[in-house]
Amino acid sequence: MFFKTWRALRQRGVMGINQRNGDYVLRYNRRHLYPLVDDKLLTKERAMSAGMRVPDLYAVVDSEHDISRLPKKLADRTDFVIKPAQGAGGDGILVITDRFEGLYRTTSGRLLTEDDIGHHLSGILSGIYSLGGHRDRALVEYRVTPDKVFSAISFEGVPDIRIIVLCGYPVMAMLRLPTRQSQGKANLHQGAIGVGVDLATGITLNGTWHNRVIQRHPDTANPVAGVQLPDWHEFMRLAASCHELTGLGYLGVDLVLDKDRGPMILELNARPGLSIQVANDAGLAKRCARVERHIDQLNATGRSESVEERLQYCQQKFATGELSMASVPVSS
Amino acid sequence: MRGVKLHAMLLALTLMTIGAGATFYQIYVLNIPVSESVTDPVWVIDARVQFRASGNVPVKVQMFVPPGSERYLVLNESFISQNYGVNVNRVGPNRQVTWSVRRAQGDQTLYYRKMLSRRFGGEQTAVETGPQFRARPPLEGVERAAAEALLAPIRQHSADVDTFISETIQRVNNLQDENVGLLLANDTSIDKRARVIETLLAVAHIPVEQVHTLRLMPTPNQTPELWLRSFNGTHWTYFNPATGDQGLPDDRIVWWIGATPVSSIEGGSRPNVTFSVTSSEVSAIQLAQDSQIVRDSAMLSFSLYDMPVATQEVFSVMIMIPLGVLLILLLRNLVGFLTLGTFTPVLVALAFRETEVLWGIVLFTVITTMGLSLRSYLEHLQLQLLSRLSVVLTFVVILMALISLFGHKLGWERGLSVALFPMVILTMVIERLSILWEERGATNAFKAAIGTLVAATLAHLLMTWPPLVYFCFTFPGVLLVMAGIMLLMGHYRGYRLTELLRFRALAGKH
Repeated sequence: MFFKTWRALRQRGVMGINQRNGDYVLRYNRRHLYPLVDDKLLTKERAMSAGMRVPDLYAVVDSEHDISRLPKKLADRTDFVIKPAQGAGGDGILVITDRFEGLYRTTSGRLLTEDDIGHHLSGILSGIYSLGGHRDRALVEYRVTPDKVFSAISFEGVPDIRIIVLCGYPVMAMLRLPTRQSQGKANLHQGAIGVGVDLATGITLNGTWHNRVIQRHPDTANPVAGVQLPDWHEFMRLAASCHELTGLGYLGVDLVLDKDRGPMILELNARPGLSIQVANDAGLAKRCARVERHIDQLNATGRSESVEERLQYCQQKFATGELSMASVPVSS
Repeated sequence: MRGVKLHAMLLALTLMTIGAGATFYQIYVLNIPVSESVTDPVWVIDARVQFRASGNVPVKVQMFVPPGSERYLVLNESFISQNYGVNVNRVGPNRQVTWSVRRAQGDQTLYYRKMLSRRFGGEQTAVETGPQFRARPPLEGVERAAAEALLAPIRQHSADVDTFISETIQRVNNLQDENVGLLLANDTSIDKRARVIETLLAVAHIPVEQVHTLRLMPTPNQTPELWLRSFNGTHWTYFNPATGDQGLPDDRIVWWIGATPVSSIEGGSRPNVTFSVTSSEVSAIQLAQDSQIVRDSAMLSFSLYDMPVATQEVFSVMIMIPLGVLLILLLRNLVGFLTLGTFTPVLVALAFRETEVLWGIVLFTVITTMGLSLRSYLEHLQLQLLSRLSVVLTFVVILMALISLFGHKLGWERGLSVALFPMVILTMVIERLSILWEERGATNAFKAAIGTLVAATLAHLLMTWPPLVYFCFTFPGVLLVMAGIMLLMGHYRGYRLTELLRFRALAGKH
C-alpha cells in the first residue's frame, strides 16, 4: 500500500515538499531576491515600470503624516482597497466598496469613519499584519471587480488565478475560488477551492478542496469544470514575464481578472504550494523536468526563447487536450 | 547541481566512515563495553585479624595475603591499621604482610581488604616451576605397612601422576578402609586427610603442596578451603583433597600456599583471622575508569571521560542534542510532522528534563493554551506585536508563579519544577505559535503545537534513554555518523509520509 502509493506518485511526477524546496526553490530562487515578492509594493512598482498590468496604485501610506493626508488623495475615489505591503494570508486587507455621507462602506456593509480607517492604517504601519512584526507600509489601490464569468462558481471575494512559472515557462495553472468557509479569501489553506486550468485553452478542469477532488462548488453547487477563462493568453503572457521581472526561477504568480480591465498581476510567491497538482490531476515534477530538459537543449545550441515562444512550447506540451473535455461533467 | 550533490554525498560518506571507524575501533580494539549495563562483579574480600596484645612488648603480626593473580584484576588493596607499620614482602610463592608496632594494649583489630574483578584481567603469565621429586619420608611399622597396602592398588589403577594423585585422594577419603583409618588416627578433619594424602604421595616420591583458597561467593564468614597442587613438569594441577576433583574452579582465588597457618603473631595472643566476601555489580565502564591499570593503557584517554565529572554531566546532555535534532529532521522531512521550526522541539525536549515528561506536557499545554487565548484577546485591542508579546510573557510568568504557588500549597512538589529554562522556552513557543496563527490560521497553529509536543516528547524520550546516552557519550564518533545522515537528508527529495496521504487522489487513478 505504502510503496504502491509512493510508486504511483513518482510515476505521475508528483512533486513533494522536499523536492520543491531542494530542487526548485533552493536552486532557482536566490534569497536576496525574496524581498521583491514579499513586499507587494516593490512587486507592483517593478511591474508598473515594466508596463505590466497591475491594479492602479492610488496612494502609499508610509507615516502617520500620510494618514492625515490620505482623505484628500482619495477624494475622487468611491471604492478602493487598503493592504499591508508585507501582509500574509489576506490579513489586514480592507475593501471599501462605496461612500455614504462621508462614511466608507466595506464589503460586509459596515460603515467606517475616516478615523476608523486611520486607525486601521496606523495598525498596518506598526506591523500588526506584517510577518515578524516589522514596521510596514500600507498601499491603497484599485478595487478589482471580478468578471461575471466567476459569478456562478464563486462565493463573495475575488477569485484569482495562480500560475506556476519555471524559468519563464508556465507549467501549471489553477483558479482559486473563495468559499463561505474561506470568508471570501482565495487561500486554499483557509478553505478556498482550487480548480485546474488547461494551459492551452484556459478552460477549467476539476477542482480540489482540502486535498479532495471535487466537481462542484460547495456553496453554489455549480460544476467548476468547463468554464472558459477569458483572455487566457494574456494571463499566460503576464505570468511568463514575471521571470524577467524578478529574476526568480520558480514562481507562483497570482493574477486576477477584472471585469473592465482584464487580467492583472496581484502578487508573486517564491514558495508556491503544491495543491495545484491535485486540482490539475497532474504532477508538477514531470512538467518541470520537461521544461528543464528543454532549457538544457536550448542552452546547448546557445539559444533562448522569447515569451511568446515559451508560451507556445508550454501550451503545446502541457495541454490537457481531449482529456480535459472528457472530464467535463455533463451539466445538469 | 549534480556536482554539489556528489560533493555532499562524499562528505557524508567520509564523515560516516570516520565516525563508524572510530566507534568500531573503540569497541573492538580498545574493548570498551557497548552498553553501560555490561556489569562486572567486583569482589571485596576482607580479612580481619583480631588478637590480644600482651602489652609492653613490641607487636608483630604476620599474615599471608593473596599473591598476584593472573585471572583477576586487582582494583584495590588496602591495609587498614592504626599506628601499625605495614610491610609487604614475598615469602616463597606467597606474599606476606607484616604489621608491627612498638606498643599496643588490649584487643587489636587489623584489616586487609582486596577488591578484585574478572574483566580486563591479563593473560596467563609465565608459570613458576615446582619440584617433581620428593624424598621418601621415614615411615615405620604399621603405618608403613598401611601406606604400602594403600599404594599397591593405586599404582595399578593409575596411568600417570595426575591420576595417581586422584586415586590416592579417593582412597584416603574412603573412611571405611582400615588402612586409611589407621593412618588418620581417628582424626577425619580435612587437614589431617590432606596430610595423609601428602604422606602417601611422598612415599611414591610425588610432591604436593597445600593451597589455601577463598571462594568468590558472598559469605559473611568464610574458612579458607584447602586444595592440593602438584607440578607435573609443565603446569600445576589442583586437586580437591575431599573429592579428588581436578582443576581449581574459576571462583577460587589462592590466598596462600603451604602448610603454615595464615597468620602468626609475636607479642600477642589468640590471633584469629576471619574472611568475609561481598560482591557488588559495577558497570564495566565505571570499572574501566576506576582501574588505574586500564587508565594507563590509554584506552580512555582522549575520551569525554577524561573531563571533570561536572563537565561530563553537561556534555552527556549536550551530546544528545544532535540526536534530537536528527530525530526532528527525520520527523519533518520523512514523516511530514508540522513543528515550530527544527530547534524548538529539541529545546522543549530539554525543558522536559527539568519538569519530567508528563508534567511537562501538562504544563506545556496549559500554559500555551492560556497564553494563546490571552493573545487572541489582546488582538482585539490592536496592540503592536512587541508590546503584545511583552504582555503575553508577563502573564506567562504570572501563570507559572500561580501554578507553582498552588502546587506548593497542595503539597504538590512537581509544581515547583517550573524553572527558568522551561519558562523561556514556553514563552518562545507561545510567540512562535501566535505568529504562525497570524500567518497560517488557527488550524495550522494547532497542528504545529501538537506536532511540536509529540516531536518534543519523542525527542526527550530518545535523548534521555540511558543506554543511548551512554553510547553517544562513550563513542562520540556517533556524532559524525549523525552529521553524515543529516547531510544525506539535505538531498532527500522523496515524499513525506503525510504527502502520500495528501496526494492520494493523484495516485488512485491511472
